[in-house]
Amino acid sequence: MITGLAVAAVIAASLIFKGSTGLQWILSGLTVGSIYALIAMGFSVIYASTRVINFAQGEFAMLGGMLIYTFSGRAHIPTALGFVLAVIIVTLLGAGFERVAIHPLRKSNVITMIIVTIGFSIFLRAVAKWVWGSDTVPVASFSGDKPIRIFGASLVPQSFWVFGFTALAVVLVFLFFNRTLLGKGMRAAAGNADAASLVGVNPSTTSLTAWTLAAALGAAAGIVIAPIKFVAIDVGVMLGLKGFSAAVLGGLGSAPGAVVGGLVLGILETMVAGVFPSGYKDAVAFLILILVLLVRPQGLLGKRESVKV
Amino acid sequence: MAEAILRVEGVTKLFGGLAAVKDVSFSVEPGEIKAVIGPNGAGKTTLFDVLTGVQRATSGQVFLKGENVEGKRPDEITALGMVRTFQTVKLFEGMTVLENTMVGCHARSTAAFIRTGLSLPSARREETRILAEATEVLKTVGLETRSGELGTNLPYGQQRTLELGRALASRPGILLLDEPAAGLNPYETGELSQLLVRLREGGLTILVVEHDMGLVMDISDEIVVLDYGEVIAKGSPEQVQNDPRVIEAYLGIEA
Amino acid sequence: MGDGIEKHKGPANVHDYRTLLLVAIFVFTVPLWAHFIPGSVIHMDIVNLMVLSGIYACAVVGLNLLVGYAGQISLGHAAFFGIGAYSVAILCTNFAWFPTWLGIAIGASLAGIIGWLVGVPVLKLKGHYLAMATLGLGEIIFILFRELTGLTKGTVGITSIPPLSLFGLRFDSDFKLYFLVWGVVMLMMLIIINIIRSRVGRGLRALHSSEVAAEAMGVNTSKYKTKVFVLSAVFAGVGGGLFAMFQRYVNPESFHFTLSILFITMVVVGGMGNLWGGIVGAIVLTFLPSVITALPEWIPVFPSSLQNFGNYTLVLYGLLLIVFMIFLPQGVAYGLSRGASYASTGARRLRDIWNARKYEGD
Repeated sequence: MITGLAVAAVIAASLIFKGSTGLQWILSGLTVGSIYALIAMGFSVIYASTRVINFAQGEFAMLGGMLIYTFSGRAHIPTALGFVLAVIIVTLLGAGFERVAIHPLRKSNVITMIIVTIGFSIFLRAVAKWVWGSDTVPVASFSGDKPIRIFGASLVPQSFWVFGFTALAVVLVFLFFNRTLLGKGMRAAAGNADAASLVGVNPSTTSLTAWTLAAALGAAAGIVIAPIKFVAIDVGVMLGLKGFSAAVLGGLGSAPGAVVGGLVLGILETMVAGVFPSGYKDAVAFLILILVLLVRPQGLLGKRESVKV
Repeated sequence: MAEAILRVEGVTKLFGGLAAVKDVSFSVEPGEIKAVIGPNGAGKTTLFDVLTGVQRATSGQVFLKGENVEGKRPDEITALGMVRTFQTVKLFEGMTVLENTMVGCHARSTAAFIRTGLSLPSARREETRILAEATEVLKTVGLETRSGELGTNLPYGQQRTLELGRALASRPGILLLDEPAAGLNPYETGELSQLLVRLREGGLTILVVEHDMGLVMDISDEIVVLDYGEVIAKGSPEQVQNDPRVIEAYLGIEA
Repeated sequence: MGDGIEKHKGPANVHDYRTLLLVAIFVFTVPLWAHFIPGSVIHMDIVNLMVLSGIYACAVVGLNLLVGYAGQISLGHAAFFGIGAYSVAILCTNFAWFPTWLGIAIGASLAGIIGWLVGVPVLKLKGHYLAMATLGLGEIIFILFRELTGLTKGTVGITSIPPLSLFGLRFDSDFKLYFLVWGVVMLMMLIIINIIRSRVGRGLRALHSSEVAAEAMGVNTSKYKTKVFVLSAVFAGVGGGLFAMFQRYVNPESFHFTLSILFITMVVVGGMGNLWGGIVGAIVLTFLPSVITALPEWIPVFPSSLQNFGNYTLVLYGLLLIVFMIFLPQGVAYGLSRGASYASTGARRLRDIWNARKYEGD
């Protein structure tokens, strides 16, 4: 685990040489990283079950954020209820799209699938623009805004909600895919749909379940993130791209991988922003993406996919 | 005595700890039909992969007309005269019978992007030549009446013939056939047999992996038997048929 | 003799050249009859949109060769387009004497070089890995456009780019640019036709179908993939240069991921692997937003609120992509050619019936 040592070394170095600034970088990096991790998990869930990459994953999060703004911010519905409502709406959208578009196209080639999910992301963004307009919308934090100080660095309380939710999500997703019959069957279907169907795993159900899960996860992530990150209709694009990089870094299809990838990306990105002009920090995600694809496509935690000759 | 077209010396291929091919050596003389047989999993296709550059050997050498080709790319090896077909038919989709065959001529032509993009006379002359050669090949294998159809629309037996024709279009010095009779009915196998003999009479050298013992015994000059990646017998069809090690390998237990 | 031989009437592919001529005639006469289309004067400046379509077509026909014929993917082609555009912009605004056509040539070459540098490692990947790698590269180049403010003036962009001048002619109006741009597109198509109907084209289609089998037949697949990638990058660079000459203003936002997606959409909607798919896709998708706004004028059923451009167009656009992939994945060009062949079969049938009736009477 050379990478693990490298990451630890980087963290140690920044703490030693930069003191509390370094700690701030790490804490902010972990917060941002958790955001990426949640999006990455959505990608991994769909990929792990169906080998499809969902370009609209970021939009699920965006919609979650926008909906909670409307429910809690404008309609004054209690947060918990608003959360549930928002997640349900986005989940229905995701499941609906799967039935209408993904399922009929399940035998198509990569490009067709890519275009169709891109079309979906454009559609969602356009509908959101129609409903909410282009401006950023404010979402209230769950438990106030008073920053908590830790050894000279500070974190807003919402960050802890994000950390907590990420941890919960990882545990739930991991348990689902590794301990439940449905989840294990779904993983099997991704590897070999024909064999899996012979033992009773229905690929159609697999696909639907995956999209439902990913939509719910994405929406929930968007809600939890919203108070920290400015929410507007186009946040989904960058979130999606970076979340995808995180997923690839950790290993596409692996829930723990999504978390590792997200956190590492978050920390690296924050550090780069601390040292270089901040516009370049976006490049970090893409550089990492390309490097991983070229050098170790299975990511940090993934297993090599064998290629059929 | 003419030099062997193909000399395989001590070729070993390891996948992790598993030896798919272990210290295999043999040679193929010009104008001979040599068969490689062995139970399933004996490493025959892996051997072909190593010979044609699809896989690198873990150790050992491969000499084609005296030149060491171990480590070269598949397209380089084809250009040097060793061409193969595949166990599962790999015809080019969306291309006609004629176009598939014309791809076989690729190694014998040179016009690349610039010359073809600008449609220079040398490129056009080459295209006419390729067309003529491919048509000849189709006549040889008996498919010229179907030249305009999509290759993948052909019945299975003719698809196999097309793949063979495509390989022939590259005018190989030695042709490697990977289970050419797989899935063919007895009539088609008989036709294949006759075609291969005709090709040998025309001077072609053939190395064939096959399970169909009737075909193997009929046309081979010599047989190499592999089991678990190792050569366990080499000789004429009669010799191999009666070799106790061969019988044991196929039946599993000593008779 | 099988009819496959007839299709290959020697190397000169007469049928395709003839179609090219027809397309060229159609395109070059558009400015004459464009304003007779109802609603066109108010809702769409057809010449202007056609120039833009032609510029995009430069990028898309090369991309179609890469994606439709060679079977690769690129979600980052806006980068090459942008390199072409910025090259002209930077050279010609910083050095007033710099010839614009040379700027375009340099931009296209630079796009080709960068295409080669990134192509060699990246084209070893396949499927969605290749897609994501090219996406990442496209984004990195976009970020460079945005951040290298000393060179590119960042988000402010470069303004007052001089118009293209060639042999003393200043191409400072849509009308003048129209013929140049589409002339370039026709030239590109000529090259592409020649490539496709040749050994190289067969090699590309072969490697699309089965890389292993193509290599076994002597096709150097990695070299071919790289070369076709570079070719598509160069063509995109030319398109970008022409774009700078058309808009006379460039900024990083023009060359974002969204443009790469637009290019790919044009390839797919036009018809992947169809010779004319690139041109068809470029025209259809460039005109689409304007057509949507013009719909209420043509077909009274559509509500006139459609003319409120921004809100509905994008929704329809996204929906259209989805619907298209489900119902007509082979693209518009395929639909058109099917329609054309039905029409000609139908015409032939009618003629046969007519002739038969004539003889019956005797």
